[in-house]
Amino acid sequence: MLDKPASALRLRERLLDSERLMEETGCYDGITELTLRNQDPLKFETLHTKLRAYCVSAREMARRISASPGVREVGEMVVAIYTPEGDAIALSNGIMVHVHTMSRFIKWMIKNGYEDNPRIREGDIFANNDAFIGTVQVPDVMDVVPIFHEGTLVGWAGAVCHELEAGGITPGGDVCLAQERFTEGLFVCAEKIGENDEIRRDYVIRCERNLRMPIYWVLDEKAKVASCIDMRESVKQLISEIGLDYWMKVSKEFIEEGRRAQLARTRQLTVPGIYRGHTFYGHVTAGKPGFQLLGDPDWLYNIPIEMEITTDGKITMDCEGTQPWGYHSMNCTPAGMDGGMFVTLTQHMNFEGLVNDGAWMATELKLPHGTWTNPDNEMVATATSWALLLPAYGVFQRLLSRSFVARGFVEEAFVGQVNSPMIEMGGESQYGTPFGMAHFECAAAGSGALAIKDGLDTAYVGWNPESDMGNIEVWEQSMPMVYIGRSIVPNSGGAGKYRGGCSFVSTWLINKTSHLRLHTSEHSSRVFDNGGMCGGYPAPTCQKHRAVRNSDIHELAAKGEPLAHAPGIDPHVSDYERNIGGDHVVIEGPYITSPHKSGDIFSHSYNGGGGYGDVLERDPIKTAWDVENGFLTRQAADQVFGIVLKDDEDGYPIADIDATVERRAAMRKERLVKAVPVADWIAKERGRVEKADFAPEVKKMYASAIKLSSRFTREFSEFWNVDARSIFTPGAKP
Amino acid sequence: MTSYSKEVLGDLAAGKLPWPQTRRIMSAYKDDDRFFKMVAVYQDRVAWKDPILLPVSDHLFICQSGDERITRCECGHSFGDYRKNWKLNAAIHVRNTEEALREIYPNSDLPDPQWMEIREFICPQCGTLHEVEAAAPGYPIVHDFEPDLEGFYREWLGRPLQGS
Ligand SMILES: [Zn+2]
Repeated sequence: MLDKPASALRLRERLLDSERLMEETGCYDGITELTLRNQDPLKFETLHTKLRAYCVSAREMARRISASPGVREVGEMVVAIYTPEGDAIALSNGIMVHVHTMSRFIKWMIKNGYEDNPRIREGDIFANNDAFIGTVQVPDVMDVVPIFHEGTLVGWAGAVCHELEAGGITPGGDVCLAQERFTEGLFVCAEKIGENDEIRRDYVIRCERNLRMPIYWVLDEKAKVASCIDMRESVKQLISEIGLDYWMKVSKEFIEEGRRAQLARTRQLTVPGIYRGHTFYGHVTAGKPGFQLLGDPDWLYNIPIEMEITTDGKITMDCEGTQPWGYHSMNCTPAGMDGGMFVTLTQHMNFEGLVNDGAWMATELKLPHGTWTNPDNEMVATATSWALLLPAYGVFQRLLSRSFVARGFVEEAFVGQVNSPMIEMGGESQYGTPFGMAHFECAAAGSGALAIKDGLDTAYVGWNPESDMGNIEVWEQSMPMVYIGRSIVPNSGGAGKYRGGCSFVSTWLINKTSHLRLHTSEHSSRVFDNGGMCGGYPAPTCQKHRAVRNSDIHELAAKGEPLAHAPGIDPHVSDYERNIGGDHVVIEGPYITSPHKSGDIFSHSYNGGGGYGDVLERDPIKTAWDVENGFLTRQAADQVFGIVLKDDEDGYPIADIDATVERRAAMRKERLVKAVPVADWIAKERGRVEKADFAPEVKKMYASAIKLSSRFTREFSEFWNVDARSIFTPGAKP
Repeated sequence: MTSYSKEVLGDLAAGKLPWPQTRRIMSAYKDDDRFFKMVAVYQDRVAWKDPILLPVSDHLFICQSGDERITRCECGHSFGDYRKNWKLNAAIHVRNTEEALREIYPNSDLPDPQWMEIREFICPQCGTLHEVEAAAPGYPIVHDFEPDLEGFYREWLGRPLQGS
């Protein structure tokens, strides 16, 4: 039991009371007036800035303790300060998606009687990586410590690191082969892992004996605890300066102010109405080694998103019509979906003022029970939930962006984050020791285009706005592979007036190991993951994995022959096949196969973002620059963008403006020749729908959506003027 | 109070503003008079006189056309009542073969056309590509945006639309 509760109420009652007050007044914790802010706005703002500074500096300090290149190099960490009830007051930069998932974790402990057992006392350390309690996936391990002031619980400090190894059935953190929770790795379920500011020895031993690379996890724990203690001491110092009463009031006013600011921002930047979009995800495992036959091996996911903005400024995101959860690792929990909303809002709307849990409170998520967004089975795996979460929020960003365009704030419109595959590995390291690691250079994909400029090349991911691919030399210290190439993938951004940001491809020579397991996350090449907007095309699908076993690269190098450093631009024959001898393999993701050894070559491409606007309006001069610098091929410039290039005297491409204008006029005409009226197309396509003349996975997708959603069924039936149920689920009860 | 001239906003929308200036606009407090100024920028750009009520895409606008409110292309083509899905009155080109997808993705691996097709929604008058859908075969055409036009003008802009 708490030695001295913060109020006469115990924490659990206080939390329920806070939720009741929100329900009754519509304001956070019943705060209908920002009294302290009105009394002294300068003091109010200064205090919040101080709290934010505590968070930022604690995170920077902690990154130096970590041994993981994920945390040190790429910054896969976030810290935050919470109210006693677990609502975020202030946060650092970094993987902000977890600020709200930690909030769920704290509330879960409070609601589950942790005050009585295991008790919440000064110096305690609690950890969690269970997504149904509050995180996104098993590698996202969070630590929180309570903050006491003279015996009273006055808040929490929390920190999350994304672990590079989680001890699951496949090495790494995003455990691609996990089909149930029991193969995802080491779970820490809202557990007290330390007392008196010290991590328990028995907990460390459990980590050491259940992970392939415990040094990452264990040192990250120390880094997180250090940052929490640092924030805790700063907050205690602050309270001794401003007084406990002021702290308890101001910390809540910050959140209510954040909530109001989000509503005001919506009214300022958007247009009320209903926005719709969708994306798809192809999951392909048939014939791949290791997958148990628990469900259909191949599955097409539809992810429709409907966003409603009401005139009071509230944003609702609705996932109705999507697919059920499955025996794979891509399921997501409501905590993960909440986190996605939080990180999207912090990047796209809350770029000024107080950023905290208030923003999230001004929104609503509708996550249909039984779907991958809200599984009705807590045994499901969520280790790669980002695979569906990222494209879902990519759609949400496009919907928000449409509202920015409508309101005239074109500079904020953004075609969205990308869904991009990652690579994980394990086995025997270059030092002859067992190892396991997720390669986090994936944290620097291409972004979607903006409405006024091209997307960012190799510099954006949705989960961490401070995207970074990390230095080659640092990654090489951590794995038995050396880079023989890391380069831009031409045409990897979706075409458009403004193209999507390009991605990169890495090529490695496997080195000093006889057993290297390489796996990639679950992305196949069947669909377009990253759509365009306002006439822009989607980015290309995930590129296939290209590897060479038993290569002759050492012989070639000894003879000084040319090697291959990237797959090249011929989709049918790669430069590896042209230049390097050995057993060539081209495999659609996920890459799950027998171990590699020294002398093998492996390449992995990341994804670019979708395009914006009509491709025939793209600036020819910018395009010539793109061709010169390897962002576009000459072939794409000519046949996709309609830009005629010629060479200057030094052989560099320059745009022939007159010829381009002429060519584009012809291409516009050609478009109209090829196109048919939509009404004609619908009439013809309806026949195909009536016969369900589709691939088995497409039919199954419709049948599943129809079973789970009456709205999907109605909309499908109305659009095609058919009875969707009798076509796709004949014999099923209505 | 932040505010920008119509010329600056015109250059911003056209992607012609120098990056440092664009960056400052992105970082600064937002200008509360943006909407009507931007509408004025677009009004100068379009080839017709009907008053623009709302931009909905790069070259599509809801405008007041006599007693009706319609979605209109920058070239003047009408896609009909703004409450209806404009795409139903567009021309469409579907890419559902490897050959047709290859035209847009000459150097990359392609999706499976059995799982995914590209639908291009084109203005039947000027040939502008207004929207691209990437969808599974048989997926209904999406109605992207149903604005609450009257609520927007009445409650957020404080200028109720006539007749509402
Ligand atoms: Zn037109």
